[in-house]
Amino acid sequence: MSALTPTRTPVPRTPAEPGAEAPARRPLRRDLLRSERPGVRIAAWSTVVVFGGFALLPVYWLLATALTPRDQVFAYPPRLFPATPTLDAFAALAGNEQLFVYLRNSLLVSVLTAVLSVLVSAYMGYSFSKFRYRGRRSLMYFVLASQMFPQALLLVTLYSLFSAYGLLNTYTALVLSFTTFTLPLCVWMLKGFFDTIPDELIEAARVDGASRLRIIHSIVLPLSAPGLIAAGLFAFVRGWNDFIFALTLAGPEKQTLPPGLVNTFVGEAATAWPELMAASLAVSLPVAIAFIALQKYLVGGLTAGAVKG
Amino acid sequence: MPTYPALDTTALSRRRLLQLLGLGAGTLTLAACVPEAGPAAPNAAGTAAAGTKTDFSFASWSLTEESAAPAIRELLGQYAGDNDVEVREVSYPYNEYISQLTLQVKGGQVAGAVHVDVAWLGSLAALGKLQDLGPLAQGVDYTEAGLSAATFDGVQYGLPWNIGAIGLIANTDLLERAGIAAAPTTVDEFESALKDLKKLGGGVVPYAASTKAAQLKDVLIWMETFGSPLLDSGKVTIGDDASVEAVTWYRSLYDQGLIAPDVDRFDARSLFAQGRAAIYDDAIVGRDAVVTESPDKKLADKLTAWSRPVLAAGDTPRALVWGGAIAVVDGEGAETAADFARWMTSDVDVARQYFEARGLPPATESALVLPDVADDAFGAQFAERITATATTNPFWVYPQYAQIETVIAEQVQAVLVGSAEPRAAMEKAGAAAQKLVD
Repeated sequence: MSALTPTRTPVPRTPAEPGAEAPARRPLRRDLLRSERPGVRIAAWSTVVVFGGFALLPVYWLLATALTPRDQVFAYPPRLFPATPTLDAFAALAGNEQLFVYLRNSLLVSVLTAVLSVLVSAYMGYSFSKFRYRGRRSLMYFVLASQMFPQALLLVTLYSLFSAYGLLNTYTALVLSFTTFTLPLCVWMLKGFFDTIPDELIEAARVDGASRLRIIHSIVLPLSAPGLIAAGLFAFVRGWNDFIFALTLAGPEKQTLPPGLVNTFVGEAATAWPELMAASLAVSLPVAIAFIALQKYLVGGLTAGAVKG
Repeated sequence: MPTYPALDTTALSRRRLLQLLGLGAGTLTLAACVPEAGPAAPNAAGTAAAGTKTDFSFASWSLTEESAAPAIRELLGQYAGDNDVEVREVSYPYNEYISQLTLQVKGGQVAGAVHVDVAWLGSLAALGKLQDLGPLAQGVDYTEAGLSAATFDGVQYGLPWNIGAIGLIANTDLLERAGIAAAPTTVDEFESALKDLKKLGGGVVPYAASTKAAQLKDVLIWMETFGSPLLDSGKVTIGDDASVEAVTWYRSLYDQGLIAPDVDRFDARSLFAQGRAAIYDDAIVGRDAVVTESPDKKLADKLTAWSRPVLAAGDTPRALVWGGAIAVVDGEGAETAADFARWMTSDVDVARQYFEARGLPPATESALVLPDVADDAFGAQFAERITATATTNPFWVYPQYAQIETVIAEQVQAVLVGSAEPRAAMEKAGAAAQKLVD
C-alpha cells in the first residue's frame, strides 16, 4: 500500500486466538451498571440519575419557563410543571422575523469562523508539531499567551482597527474577531493531534516523492479528521455563543443571536422570560444536533495526544 | 519504533511564564497609556429650525424594549414625516448601553440624538462630544428639577425627557394585613413596620432592599439619610460615623431577616409582583414591570409611594434622582438632532402620547398639568412624596462613578455576609473611592 493512502492501524477488540482468555476488563459502564452486586448497581444507577438530573435540569427549566405564562414565571412556591402551560412564547417567536435574521447571521459567522479557524490552525499546528525551527516554542507560547489578554482589551483594540479599515458592522469583522480567540486553542488542539501521527508515515510519503503540501493534504489532514472536526466544533460554538464582540462590532443588521435575544427580550425594567427561554431553547437546537452528530469525532479529537503511545 | 515529540517540549517553564506575564503586563501598560479624549468645551446647539433638516440617528435603550419601542418608533416616524428626514435607530440593551455608547461615540460611529440616563451625563460629557443645549432649553417650561438633572458641570448637556426619582414603593394590601395604617416617618418607625410585616409569615420579605453587590449602590441613599454627605469638596466621606451607622443598621435588618439575601432590582420587582415583598426601592418605570408580572390583577391599585424615612423627625427625606434626558453628539445631522431633542422633550402632544404609552413623568410644567398626567394618582403621589426631595448622586460628576459605586458596594457586601466590620469596611471603601476621585 502506498504511503499516500491514509490508513489507521486496526485496534483488536476481541482476543484473536481461539481459546484465549476472556478480556480482563469490560467497559466501566457495564461493570458498574450491570454489576451482580445490588448495592453497587443501585449506587451506580443513583449516580447516573443524580448527574443526569444535574445536567438536564437547566434544560428542563428552560422548557418549563418557555411554557409558563409570563405572570406565573416567578410564582411562589415555584412549580416543577407549569400550572397552565401555553405555547404563546413559541408562537411569538414564529412571528418574529428579526429572530430569523439573527439566526441566519449566527449560522453564517459561526460556520465561517469554524472554517477559518480550522484552516489556519491546521497549518500552524502542523508546523508546530512536525517542523523544528528557531523560535518555534516561543511562537507557540506567544499564541497561547494571546488567550491571557482580557477580552475588553482585545475588543477595544479590534474596534479601533476595524474602524480604521472600515470593517465595523460587517461579517468580516465578526469572523476575524471570533477567530482571534478560537485560534490559540485550535492550534494547540491540532498540534496535539498531529503529534500522534507517526513521523514514519510522513517520511515514507517523502520517499515516495510527495511534496510537503501533498503530504499535508493527502495524508495528515485526512488522518486528522476527528481533530479537525473537534476544533471546528469548538470554534463554531465559541462564535455561536459570543455576546460582547457581536454586540459591539456587528451593528444592527449583522447582529447575531446572543445580543439579538438580549436586545429583543431583556429590558430596563422587565424581561420577557418565557419568550427568552423559548428562543434560547430553539436556537440551542442546531448546536445540540451538531454535537450529537459529531460526538464520536469530538471525543476522539479532544483526547488525541493526551496519552503518549 | 516511532519517535513522538517529547511531552516536555510543551512544558511551561517558570522563566517562560514570567516572560509571558511580562509581555502581557507590557501590553496592558501600553494600552493604558493611550491618551483619553479630554473634556472639551461643548459647542452651543444652534437653532436647527433655521437651517435645512437633515437625516440623523437616535440612540436609545428603550428601542429594544417591547413596552417602549412602539411608542418611540411612532414618535420618530412623526418627526421624520413632518420634517422629511430619516431617523436612523441605534439601540443597545440597558445594561450594555453606556459602555457601548461610549465606545461608539468615541469611535465616531454615533452622532445625533442620544437618550441618556441622567447618571451617565458626566461620563459622556468627558468625551468632549456633547453639545451645550442651554440655548435650546431657553423659552421652554422645563421643570427646575429636570433642567438640573440634565446639567453637568454647569452645562446643559441634555434636555430632560422623563425625570423622576427612585424611592420606596409599598403594597397597601400587605401593609393593611400587617396593621400598618400610616407610612413610617423615621428610621425607627420603619424598622418597627418591617418587624410587623415579618410577622405575616408565609415567606414575605418585609423590604426587598438590594443586597446583591451589583445593586448595593442603593445603600448610598441610606447613608445620606443617616447624615453622610458621601462627598464633600472632593473628599469622600464614606467611613464617617453616619455611613458606618447606616451600614450597621442595614446589616441589622439583614440579620433580623427584614431584608433578604441576594436581591437586586429585578429580584425585588419579581418578589413584589408576586406579593412576596411588601416594600422595595424603584423608579416609577418599574410600575409597568411589577403590574405586568403579577398574578394579582389589582396590584396597580395597591401601590403606594412612601417618602424615605428620616433619622430624626423634621429631617428632609432623601431620594435619588432618576430619569432620562436627550443629549446631542456632534457630527452628522447634529443640528436636526438638537431640534428633534427639543421637540421630543417639550412638545405637549408628544408628552401626552408618550405618557399614555408608558406612564413616565414628563419634564415640562405644561405637560405635568395635562389631565392624564395629573389624574394618575400613583404618579402624583410619587412626585409629591419622592421626586420632590430627590437629589443627584454626588459621584455622578466623575466619569468613573460606576467604579466608585462598585468598590463601595463590595465593602457593604462584605459587611452583610459578616466577613468585615462596618467601620473597617467603610473606611476601606472610602479610601478606595477616594483614589478613584483623585
